[in-house]
Amino acid sequence: MKILTGGNFHSGAIMAAITVKKKPATRVKRLIRWESGANGYSPDGRNEAHMSDLSHAGNTPASSPISTSTDPAGADPAAQSTAARNAHDTGVADSGRWSTRRIAIYALFVALAMATSFVEFPIIPGVPWLKYDPSGIVCLIAGFAFGPSAAAIVSVLGFTPHLLMDPWGTLMAVLVSLALSVPAALVYKYRRSQGGAIVGILLGALCALAVAILGNLVVTPIYAHMSIAQVAALIVPVLLPFNLIKFAIDGVVTYLIYKPVSNLLHR
Amino acid sequence: MTNVIAQPRPMRAATALSDAALSSAAVAACDAGLSGRAESAISTKPLAPAESLILGESLISTKPLISTDSLPNPTLHAVQLNGVRFSYDRGKAWALDGIDLTIRPGERICLTGPNGSGKSTLSRIIAGLVAPDCGTVQLLGHQVFDGAQPDPQAYRKARHGIGAVFQNPEDQIVTTVVEDDVAFGPENLGLPHPVIAQRLDAALGAVDMAAYRHGDPAHMSGGQQQRIAIAGTLAMAPSMIVLDEPTAMLDSLAQAEVMGILDALQARGTTIVHVTHRSGETAHADRVIRMEHGRIVADTTIAYATVTDAKATDTTITQPAAGAKPDVTHVTATTAANRDCASNDSHSTAWHGMTADWQAHVDRPAIEVSHVSMRYANASNAALDDLSLTIEPGETVAIMGRNGSGKTTLARLLAALEKPSAGTIRIAGIDPATRSRRARKELRRQVGLVMQRPERQLFAETVAEDIAYGPSNQHLAPAEVASRVQDAMTLLHISHLAQRSPASLSGGQQRLAAIAGVIACQPGILIMDEPTASLDAAASARIHELVRALHDRGVTIVMITHSPEEAQTLASRIITLPEHAATPLSVVEEGEQGEARPASFVASLDPRVKMVAFLALMFTAFMIHTPVQLALSAALVAGIVAAARISPLRLLASIHMFLALFVMMGLLNVFFVRTGATLFTIASVPITTDGLSVAMLYICRFALVVILGAVLLETTTPTALADGFGSLLSPLHRVMHTQELALVMSLALRFLPILGRETRAIMDAQSARGGSIETGSPARRIKAMSAIIVPVFAGTLRHADNLSLALDARCYEEGARRTHWRLMRVRTRDIAFGVLAAVYIVALIVLGLM
Repeated sequence: MKILTGGNFHSGAIMAAITVKKKPATRVKRLIRWESGANGYSPDGRNEAHMSDLSHAGNTPASSPISTSTDPAGADPAAQSTAARNAHDTGVADSGRWSTRRIAIYALFVALAMATSFVEFPIIPGVPWLKYDPSGIVCLIAGFAFGPSAAAIVSVLGFTPHLLMDPWGTLMAVLVSLALSVPAALVYKYRRSQGGAIVGILLGALCALAVAILGNLVVTPIYAHMSIAQVAALIVPVLLPFNLIKFAIDGVVTYLIYKPVSNLLHR
Repeated sequence: MTNVIAQPRPMRAATALSDAALSSAAVAACDAGLSGRAESAISTKPLAPAESLILGESLISTKPLISTDSLPNPTLHAVQLNGVRFSYDRGKAWALDGIDLTIRPGERICLTGPNGSGKSTLSRIIAGLVAPDCGTVQLLGHQVFDGAQPDPQAYRKARHGIGAVFQNPEDQIVTTVVEDDVAFGPENLGLPHPVIAQRLDAALGAVDMAAYRHGDPAHMSGGQQQRIAIAGTLAMAPSMIVLDEPTAMLDSLAQAEVMGILDALQARGTTIVHVTHRSGETAHADRVIRMEHGRIVADTTIAYATVTDAKATDTTITQPAAGAKPDVTHVTATTAANRDCASNDSHSTAWHGMTADWQAHVDRPAIEVSHVSMRYANASNAALDDLSLTIEPGETVAIMGRNGSGKTTLARLLAALEKPSAGTIRIAGIDPATRSRRARKELRRQVGLVMQRPERQLFAETVAEDIAYGPSNQHLAPAEVASRVQDAMTLLHISHLAQRSPASLSGGQQRLAAIAGVIACQPGILIMDEPTASLDAAASARIHELVRALHDRGVTIVMITHSPEEAQTLASRIITLPEHAATPLSVVEEGEQGEARPASFVASLDPRVKMVAFLALMFTAFMIHTPVQLALSAALVAGIVAAARISPLRLLASIHMFLALFVMMGLLNVFFVRTGATLFTIASVPITTDGLSVAMLYICRFALVVILGAVLLETTTPTALADGFGSLLSPLHRVMHTQELALVMSLALRFLPILGRETRAIMDAQSARGGSIETGSPARRIKAMSAIIVPVFAGTLRHADNLSLALDARCYEEGARRTHWRLMRVRTRDIAFGVLAAVYIVALIVLGLM
């Protein structure tokens, strides 16, 4: 099944889609910040970020703001802030994968994924039933920031409201979301750099593409009286471009906003 | 409503205990220990032995309704802090710089001070939610922090006796039924079911919310939500309650209610630590502690003979006199005195607010609202009802009214973000409903909107870039954009913050930066929705100065505010919107025993059985291929709809969004199925009988699925769904953390509407500044998308931060044993329903094979 597994075509198209949108000057700036470690993990290998303390809230001002944008070559700000937060642990529900901080973050990300899964709009004129929704971005960000298990939780739970409206379609959407975010998060977990992120997104897009097409083959006959062969005939003209565009948008937007979001995570 | 219990209180001698000798040793230990806590060998001196105290009257005479079991020895202090220091950045700056504080049981303390003085941080340490860097902390007799290490067991025990209430009521409520939310804390403590029932009754009674126990907190006002949050802590029977600016987001009536509850708690002997920056709220405190720059600068003991005297000077909180009628100002009246503001011809023309042809008719009103009503799609009441008002150019008008009277709706209508359901609006002479795109663009340029909490819309990397977003969307030359940014920053005195990241600013500075972003667009009409909410006096003063400066430049200003003083100082006219009748909150009818009686058979089913059965029905609906199967399925669904007592019209309303999908599916099928007799041809596509029948079949069975889903959602609360989900998962508890996953699910469902609302607000705010994802070049659209997504994530993380504090305060802990308030029982009706569903599926299969 050449179409489903053809590598060069997909990666080339996706690379082209991504590089077209980046501006060269900011790319260099981002390079510095990616490698300074200001991401979800501290560079000494501790996996889950211990966000055990509230840095600032409400009207409390930053007494001495850590300005990551002006200190690229200095000491690692993320590790500093993580360590600063750990210093205020009480030892009760503060640490580990299911600290109250983590539960709250998972819950809010799941809520965000649910909310974005309802924002649907068609992206290919003439094919109004194939709709794009930005929940893939939320799952990718969750995966980069908190690891593959977070990506899995957000992907699965984020679609549960849709289960009651469109059961088979939801199953497929969940599998596609898992295929997009979990491989990307796995790659990023072991290679925490700009390159790792790009490779992760590409890998995720590939897996998701495969799952999407397979899923369409199985699910579309449930909604329309078409045989599998008829759906297969639709792959190249319709399904492939749609899914490519969808994952390209997800990948590009995630790449562009991950920096500001991870800065927020490490205030 | 609970009234203040007036009791003569004895005069107390000055009691601030501080131990100067400890502090210097503690500081030395602290500096050494900060870099490597685990290996610090220096330990602080042991605590001074407890002095014998003359027990206050409150412990002996008044039997506290709330037990003080968690206080191991009543002669010890409730809180003792020595030499406490706290830094957010590992010692570069100290948020708390040497705090020595002792609080006796039953005292009521007010912590005051400007923003940034460390009051919130201190309150969190007192509540046992965070550990300091240095110093010793003893809470309720438990030594929780000894200068080097926190003691988790001690913290756990201390937290069981301490309750915490925070500023934002939304982030403290964890589920969608009031009763379940209040029961969350006791469940975490592992209390048995009858005890939880008692605590619920007591707590809801104490805050006067017993009538709403089956309602959804999301539909209630801020004051009611805050009362629910307080009930949630009261249900855990704490001996001390820490409140961090609990009234910051409430209107004056709700503030009074919360203060009344505090007075009642004080009378019962609960220790209260109340952080506030409103001087009026310190009236009934025993001690007022003022903080500045991380230090305590004043610790005043208030001696008073009777409570009632202190109320005389209290202007911030007023309890409405019995029988007072609400103020219904006739909003159509305009006074002649307003005309003198319109003499703006002599003012500088540097403010390009007005269009050429409007300026020519400067005597035309800036805003005309006539007989406007606004009713949202699924609301039972109109948000605004037949409102008419006129605002002249250059006026400053204040709009006031209770929460829920439609002020924010009015602001959005005036900013042309929505069309009214009835009536007309003209803004700057332009009707927002006009078809002319040019006119709409002009309108967008004319009106600036500062929404509630505008700091939530900051997204750029520097303050200057964020402020420049609006002007750059107006297609101005870069030099012009830069000069507008400079002008806006100068007006608000934030030029020194130009290159800072917005995330690194204080709350007040962020607010100013966000407002600057709107002003840089130089609108002729500025609408501000509660611009000084939760700001301290200094920041509020800046905003008042801004309003005056803009008024001098001739800008028409419409300001929504809760503060009568603010309205009187700044505005020439105050418009008060009338209140609406309260909407009925309880969706579920009350039976005679006070137990909620579910309204229908389907609603009374156990949620687990319901979910599994409905999902099975929905998944197997796609096996339907023959008309007989379809008939059977339709009969079952009709039966379920009847058993759920849902009117067909309501059902239609919940599935109408799928109609477009149905049509499309039908078309798709008709296109693909070419067998059978051709009836007619459209554009060379034959429409055949088979095609039509297949289309009908697919549409019908999808419709049945959608209807089943709608019925399930209508008859089951999100809480019940999450509980059922958790229970279904629980057999897997060895493989995954099922309890935590269920909690995540429940919290997510609770926060979903909040995030949806905030996303819309951010989209509105950015589109009011000219950013839109639907128009413009790809680069601009991507920037617009990032201008929406980044603040949405910021909001998400902010909610998560607050929520995690609330979870800690309610003693939630992973892996700890929890009891359940809501018990799910599988009864005969559930078994019957399950059998019915199984029989149906078998019949479906059999029919399909025939």
